[in-house]
Amino acid sequence: MELEFELNGAPATFEVARSDLLLDVLRRHGYTGAKRGCDTGACGMCMVQVDGEARQSCVLPATRVAGASVETIEGLGTQDDLHPIQQAFVDHTAMQCGFCTPGFIMRTKALLEADPSPSDEAVRAALSDNLCRCTGYKKILEAVHDAADRLAADDALAADGGEPTTATREGTR
Amino acid sequence: MSQPDEPGVEATTRPDVDEALDAFPLEWDEPAGNRKALSDRRSITKNVEKYDARKIVTGEARYTADFRVHFPTLLEGKVIRSDVAHGRVTAIDTSEAEAMEGVHAVITPWSDVVPDKLYTSAGQSYPEPSPWDMPVLREHVRFVGDPIAAVAAVDRATADRAARKIRVEYEELEPVLDYRHAMDDDAPRLFADDEVENTQSGADYARNLESHFEGELGDVDAAIDAADDALVLETEWETPYQNHCIPEPHTTIAYTDEDNRHVFITSTQVPNHTRRQLAHLFDVPIRDIRVVKPRIGAGFGGKQAMVIEPITFALHLATGQPVKLEMTRREEFHAMRNRHPMSLRMRTAVDKSGRIEAMDLYALSNTGAYGPHGMTVAGNVGTKPLPIYPRVEHVRFAADIVHTNLPIAAAMRGYGAPQGHFAVEAHMDEVARRLGMDPLDFHALNHVQVGDLDRISDILGEGDGARRIRSCGLAECIERGAEAVGYRDRHDEQPDDPHRHRGVGVALCAQGSGVQGDELGAAHIKMNEDGSFILQVGGVDTGTGNDTMFSQVAAEVLGCDPADIVVKSSDTDETPFDYGAYASSTTYISGRAVKETAEDAKARLLYWGSKLLDEPAEDLETGDGAVFSEVTGERVTLEEIGYESIYGGGEREQVMGASFHSTNESPPPFGAQFVDVTVHDETGEFEINELVYAADCGVAINPPLVEGQIEGGQHMALEYATSGTLTFDDAGRPQVLGFRQYGMPTTANTPPMETIVVETHEPTGPFGAKSIAELPTNGVAPALSNAVRDAVGVRINSLPITPAKIREALEAAR
Repeated sequence: MELEFELNGAPATFEVARSDLLLDVLRRHGYTGAKRGCDTGACGMCMVQVDGEARQSCVLPATRVAGASVETIEGLGTQDDLHPIQQAFVDHTAMQCGFCTPGFIMRTKALLEADPSPSDEAVRAALSDNLCRCTGYKKILEAVHDAADRLAADDALAADGGEPTTATREGTR
Repeated sequence: MSQPDEPGVEATTRPDVDEALDAFPLEWDEPAGNRKALSDRRSITKNVEKYDARKIVTGEARYTADFRVHFPTLLEGKVIRSDVAHGRVTAIDTSEAEAMEGVHAVITPWSDVVPDKLYTSAGQSYPEPSPWDMPVLREHVRFVGDPIAAVAAVDRATADRAARKIRVEYEELEPVLDYRHAMDDDAPRLFADDEVENTQSGADYARNLESHFEGELGDVDAAIDAADDALVLETEWETPYQNHCIPEPHTTIAYTDEDNRHVFITSTQVPNHTRRQLAHLFDVPIRDIRVVKPRIGAGFGGKQAMVIEPITFALHLATGQPVKLEMTRREEFHAMRNRHPMSLRMRTAVDKSGRIEAMDLYALSNTGAYGPHGMTVAGNVGTKPLPIYPRVEHVRFAADIVHTNLPIAAAMRGYGAPQGHFAVEAHMDEVARRLGMDPLDFHALNHVQVGDLDRISDILGEGDGARRIRSCGLAECIERGAEAVGYRDRHDEQPDDPHRHRGVGVALCAQGSGVQGDELGAAHIKMNEDGSFILQVGGVDTGTGNDTMFSQVAAEVLGCDPADIVVKSSDTDETPFDYGAYASSTTYISGRAVKETAEDAKARLLYWGSKLLDEPAEDLETGDGAVFSEVTGERVTLEEIGYESIYGGGEREQVMGASFHSTNESPPPFGAQFVDVTVHDETGEFEINELVYAADCGVAINPPLVEGQIEGGQHMALEYATSGTLTFDDAGRPQVLGFRQYGMPTTANTPPMETIVVETHEPTGPFGAKSIAELPTNGVAPALSNAVRDAVGVRINSLPITPAKIREALEAAR
């Protein structure tokens, strides 16, 4: 059957089976930023946004996103023009192996869209479905708070009619 | 010869020790420029952006499974595993699976493509010390999860369905499920004589004993007999299984390329060992195998194992098509590798002042169904923590490594040191408290210092091996950690609730930098016209940031920006040899190889600089993207040298460098772990207020990456101390098969951490660096046990430390 939905802001039509999970469909079509960590919705490494909400794509039937808006890590910034959340993760070295990082960034994006200035408790609660084995979470938590500040600064600047300035470091890789 | 530069060490008068001190001099003939003041460092000790950071945050970093799109005919594999803990496979009916549409092959222990040979999955140097005790697919199954057969099919769903159609019949055998009884006379035997080749010491398979070893310095029994009974303490400790929980499950793609060479894209820490082991196992020339490590989703020792590559290759040989095999999380939890459960006994004698006179450590280790890393992990139980006390004259260390019909234990970050530190560091704390000493005062009297001769790290060696301690920041680690956690006023700052008590515990930590006497790393570098470089290095970045570290080390030598170093690593065709990422070796060994390689190229840069500036090479130095004269200040850029050397009208040269590094040195990094806890004196409920870790890793090449190792190591150590473990039913079936049952710490229950990096200079390391990766996995368990003791007076001697155990101990003490 054909699945029609919006993927990173553009209309998409994918051929899917009724039993397909969203993670399988995304990865089959080259969107490999979402990772397979457990297949049971227990680690957050496959996290994407569906209509703005953070969802574990490994347990979400693909057919459920018909007509919905799906955002994946591929829809955020590029290496030369990172999204402020990505930039915060880079600047805080909030990653090691990186396998969980796209999931953490998508979860952070959903959190900050719902709560632009979260308390430390709120951040810890919101990210608790995402597992990281490498970092001990400390630098990730720092990056999320910094990302909130950067986005708030961008919003303030935009309200003044200016251009966002947070993602200014030149990418080389 | 220099004298120890800290007080508290009595001058020795023993001739044998004096002789040994001469054989292992404190002074080390360092290469020029290896020791740099902070202000002179250009690329090292800098927060250089992680080499792969941008591709990671954009989702473009490619891990093995992400390569699937490049293989239109890729088949997916699935492994059929034993449902019984111990038995013999009597029949396998594959007919229904083979008849299914989309199934390309089913392989069993009897298939032609499956080698009829034994091997070890331990990715170690040659010859592997671990016993060769496993075939690729197994007829004699020894745990629930042992691989019996495998299928390759057009997609995952078909492979899964086909796997479920394969019928296996067993003759069930009695299992060994309690390792404390594995050596009993009536225990079932796991290995017949012809089922294993083992060259390790002390093996006795009639008793399920993989290895036994012991080593002694001085005369422990005599020292303990002579000591006042009140000053002798014996304690017992117990540690459980721990799973690596690697984010990326083991994944391999195997195919044969257009040159008829076998290529493996695989999540491994040991590309070169894997290449050699595959060649030996499948009787294929090494030159016909290429192993490529892409980004990998961490390893922690779990990928220092050649676990799934042989099955993937056999499926590829059976089908002639590219095959991918990707483990499920369920398989990761029961069929891959784990940390060895152990029972330990520690005994010491001290004098009245608290000086340790004798140490005696014994470990009984459960290696599970097979023995990869069994003996060597157990060796580290003693040889990593005991050298924290190198001036103790009488030391004995022994271990037995036994088999059970439970999951395989193997290499895991720390490699025996976490178990050893739990016993040693909690024991020492208990000794101090029984003497009425503050544990920090006890440690100050006994712990390692610069100038010490550590003979304990070689206690299992054959000769007069020893290690001179040339860098040690332990005293500063303790001081700064204690200050940060508020150690001295901890008893003054207590909760209002009279039932809740705050305590702080400390554990000292040590590790190594590479396997002592068994390491090799190599690198090659070539210059591009624009003054940039391509560095080819065998060293393996498992996510820790080694590619970044390599670029910083090379740039420091060559005088360019780290971003001008393109790092190509871990491809057995394209990069020089390296033993791989294990034993905290990569910065110390592979990093030093990169430094020597860059020095080799630098000599050519200075030659060209001399030619173009018309000044003697000895007046020249590299820096700021140029070769400049320290005499005249004249400079020529690396770009000018690049173009001139390649396209110039006269002499032409490709500026290159190549070198390797191997050494018998393995300097220990040191650390002090503090745990600040509040415990309820009736319920045993506790909360960890803070984890503080102060580490001496020599010179930190990239401080945020070092901090990341410390914080991530403590995460794993916190889990070990408080939550994660595997359990089994009475038939040996695993009960923990997913993250939900396992108990890995999350953002919601990870306490605040404070990380302190104490700089020392290790003269044998690249720019003074030692290792960091494993060190911080060692401290939380003993420090938490010590903190609970400090808070409410009871000693917890088994992991995980739970409120129920504390409550039980509190009730027993009443």
